[in-house]
Amino acid sequence: MKLFAAHLATLKAHFRIIFTYRGMMIIQAIRLILLPMVLAAAWLSIEKTAENPYSDSDYLLYYLLVPVILNLTDSRLVFRFPLAVRDGSLSRELLKPFPPLSGYALESIANNLIQLIYLLPFTIIAGYLVKDRLLLSHLSLQLLLFAAVAVALGGLVRMLISGSISLTGFWLEDVTTLNLILNGGIWALLGGMIVPVATFPEHIRRFAELLPYRYMLSFPIEILTGRLSTTEIWQGFAVIAVWSGIFALSMRLIWKRGLKVYSAYGG
Amino acid sequence: MTESQSESAIIVRQLCREFKVRQKSEGLAASVRNFFSPEYKTVHAVANLDMRIESGEIIGFLGPNGAGKTTTLKMLSGLLVPTSGNIEVLGYTPFNRDHDFLKSISLVMGQKQNLWWDLPPVETFEIHRRIYAIGDAEFKTRLSELIAMLEIENCLETQTRKLSLGQRMRCELAVSLLHQPRILFLDEPTIGLDILMQKKIRGFLLDYHRRFKPTILLTSHYMDDVAALAQRVIVINNGGKIFDGRLKELTEHMRPEKVMTVIINNGEFPCQLREGCRLIHREGQMFRFLVKREIVGELAACLYSTGQIADLSIEDAPLEEIIGQLFVSDNDSAATAQE
Repeated sequence: MKLFAAHLATLKAHFRIIFTYRGMMIIQAIRLILLPMVLAAAWLSIEKTAENPYSDSDYLLYYLLVPVILNLTDSRLVFRFPLAVRDGSLSRELLKPFPPLSGYALESIANNLIQLIYLLPFTIIAGYLVKDRLLLSHLSLQLLLFAAVAVALGGLVRMLISGSISLTGFWLEDVTTLNLILNGGIWALLGGMIVPVATFPEHIRRFAELLPYRYMLSFPIEILTGRLSTTEIWQGFAVIAVWSGIFALSMRLIWKRGLKVYSAYGG
Repeated sequence: MTESQSESAIIVRQLCREFKVRQKSEGLAASVRNFFSPEYKTVHAVANLDMRIESGEIIGFLGPNGAGKTTTLKMLSGLLVPTSGNIEVLGYTPFNRDHDFLKSISLVMGQKQNLWWDLPPVETFEIHRRIYAIGDAEFKTRLSELIAMLEIENCLETQTRKLSLGQRMRCELAVSLLHQPRILFLDEPTIGLDILMQKKIRGFLLDYHRRFKPTILLTSHYMDDVAALAQRVIVINNGGKIFDGRLKELTEHMRPEKVMTVIINNGEFPCQLREGCRLIHREGQMFRFLVKREIVGELAACLYSTGQIADLSIEDAPLEEIIGQLFVSDNDSAATAQE
């Protein structure tokens, strides 16, 4: 309970800080919205093949929700933690009776939640403008709940992947390239950023369904399109649980070894 | 091991910490060579350090830059893992980062901050209260005491980044002491502060120690801090201990003479100079001598009896000079031993 109160106080502190950086938040929101808008326009303008299970309505719903899901599952750990190792500010966290990585994770969560203030109005207005082309009659409370859980779990697995990459900052001076490879390029391709995973050729789709990337973006939206059965949704949750376990373990191992080489640079 | 088994707050045995530092010669060819075959040099930041500090002591932990002071403090607070040797702080092994241990210590670094940069100090205090699970009543009492002692009531609600260095340092001390640590590691707490603020911080630390009796390990390049606060000094050089004792013992050991400055009214120096008294400077009617401690009283009495004295002062050599001399003699003996 005391630990929860400490986490809550830290989260609130990050909320207060982020509110002081409004300009930066607007720029971030624009960045999140632009690419999905371009992709939606591209997919709507081309002729779909017979094998493509997605209708225009699906594409519209998909790319309307991409900025929101993208933001909610985002993790800033990979940018903040290696910097803290380099400038020595990690020392400050290590001296507190509080899990050191929690502070960075909470900063990321606070950032994602506040970003919704900028993203949701855009999504609602854009949704209203194309409401005649959207088919939402299949949406139920159960689907919404499944999607909400999928977003939370997708955020968790992305945080753990980012965490594992960021902890290599104990050894590497710059982890951004590693992040671009493991958590950027592959994720954009196999997570459903460029092309929705459901529209992949079957063998690639099956492969993507086994990797963690789909669950950080495409999976919650696939749930909302109503194209996944309850069994497929539970299978998805199981895959997330396995990957979360793997990355949580990897973080733990890297953390233990990393602390031993940490030199507390810069004081 | 639990604290009840140990009277000492800090016990350090044969502590060593090495760093591997990559070496690189100048030029492109050396860079290419170094890329394929990097060369490393092992730096012994702390070497076989032994020390024992009792509960409630204030220790001045001194040494030149690079002597290993901050590395030792980081090992004592659990930030660094020793290469070898043992450390017990309040019966805990610091590097295990036990939460009870972390709640019992505080590390204040003059050049680093614990306050949240974008929030006013009062909000950092609140977060600190939650993290250290300080009860409401205790928190209120401690905070109001610290606010009064440190005179910070006017800056509590100003964003930290907008505070002056002196205000920030006092707020740093407040947040570091809110959980009432039993051990306080102070690394250059007065660095960059003006003389008035240095004095204020020293006064506060003395007052705080008198009231709450924490064990304090202080490093500072300002010898006034050390002279005002430390009951005992531990001096290290090249990672090893070269002196451990009272400041007075260090002064007497390194400088068996006192500096006597005499200004006479007119004429020649009125007393006969005997063995153990050496003139080091003269400017008009002002004479400065190095006088052996045992004959200082005798010489002063002689001078006063002449009725020719306009002014007379007797001082120890400046502490900076004494410590500097200690480092030089340690480096000389290390060089001789190597030969």
